Amino acid sequence: MSHEDTIPLHHSSQSDIDEIENLFNAPVHVATVLPAQPPSPPRASIPVSHSSTSLPPYQKVPPSSSPPPVVPAVPVDAAPAGRSRTGVSADAFGSPANTLTEPVWDTVKRDLARIVSNLQLVVFPNPFREDPGRALRDWDLWGPFFFIVFLGLTLSWSASVKKSEVFAVAFAILAAGAIILTTNVLLLGGHIIFFQSLSLLGYCLFPLDVGALVGMLVSNAILKLVVVSITLAWSCWAAYPFMSAAVNPRRKALALYPVFLLYISVGFFIIAID
Amino acid sequence: MDSIQPPVENYANPRTCLFHVLFKGAALAFYILSALFIDSFVIIFVVTVFLAALDFWVVKNVSGRILVGLRWWNEINEDGESIWKFECLDQESLARMNKKDSWLFWWTLYLTAVAWLFLAIFSLLRFQADYLLVVGVCLTLSIANIVGFTKCRKDAKKQIQQFATQTIASRFTSSLQTAFSVV
Repeated sequence: MSHEDTIPLHHSSQSDIDEIENLFNAPVHVATVLPAQPPSPPRASIPVSHSSTSLPPYQKVPPSSSPPPVVPAVPVDAAPAGRSRTGVSADAFGSPANTLTEPVWDTVKRDLARIVSNLQLVVFPNPFREDPGRALRDWDLWGPFFFIVFLGLTLSWSASVKKSEVFAVAFAILAAGAIILTTNVLLLGGHIIFFQSLSLLGYCLFPLDVGALVGMLVSNAILKLVVVSITLAWSCWAAYPFMSAAVNPRRKALALYPVFLLYISVGFFIIAID
Repeated sequence: MDSIQPPVENYANPRTCLFHVLFKGAALAFYILSALFIDSFVIIFVVTVFLAALDFWVVKNVSGRILVGLRWWNEINEDGESIWKFECLDQESLARMNKKDSWLFWWTLYLTAVAWLFLAIFSLLRFQADYLLVVGVCLTLSIANIVGFTKCRKDAKKQIQQFATQTIASRFTSSLQTAFSVV
């Protein structure tokens, strides 16, 4: 099995050829070459995507050469497949050159698209939602980052005194809370990926962001209370399926209670701030 | 700095090098200078962390690929397990990488982490917990990139060795075969 990994050139040249064919057959826009496909695009803590042209090789190589069971620690995906756009100048890599010369815009667009799709998956009622345990496969942390910062900023603007402390406390509590909640699920024997869960808890803050924004703009206390309660319930509703799917049914409450507690305390924070 | 083994060629990708350094420098500069000009901690926090996050993204997605031909990422496979993948270009392309580019890449990567470490120590000594938060986030991002790319590079070296032994072995067998066929 690892033999194939040490003969990279054959694989890569074959996949290079396929890649070139794809490029010539597909329209020039790189964005359309990127299909809505299962997660081969690379991701990391801050979302990453590389140019789409290298996706086809990855799609082909892993099923054939990588060992089937879960490889722990550091499985070197030792297919240095046709990514060699920088070195191999001779090949007619039209589109990769475009993604290099304007990598930022295309990748930004793609990342934004991913944030939007993650948001829709997690937060909005979606009858076509697939099994929650698999839903946030291509997690990213940009969304959660923006939401936490936005919530901190809104709370800070709403506060009349001690603005800096409010922001710092909000940010620290949300970040630390997400990490601790994830650890909680893992310690309860749940099956969830660390970053996936962080990403999820961050996305579920979106309704509270809306609530905080409304709270900042509206001065009537009753209206603020109602709106924040509704958004709080929405956050909890959004987080529920993922968290409960991750753990043993008997431990569902143990996993969910801290999540609800976190969101409820953030909700109180929003209501109480003046 | 130029007296330390200046590579002979010029930069092959000047714009990428610029961006690679730009956000790092901007984050550090803003953080250091902001103490002089800006009162609001919130602005310092948001701008610095945002610049650091942008820098992380640029290094991981763009300059890592272009300057040194390495990449790392995380995937979640069908079983729901998380796999870290480390990737490098094939050997010919790696050999053709511009030395100056990769020199710049690695040095700035390490230097930024060291700089953030110093700033962390400063804010620790001054008991400023909120500034420590900012510096902590930026330090974490820098270290994540360093760890990821160093692992990539180790794997690349391992692959070079494997490839070399493979090539030697295949050449040896083929020369043996020709020897025997002649006989």
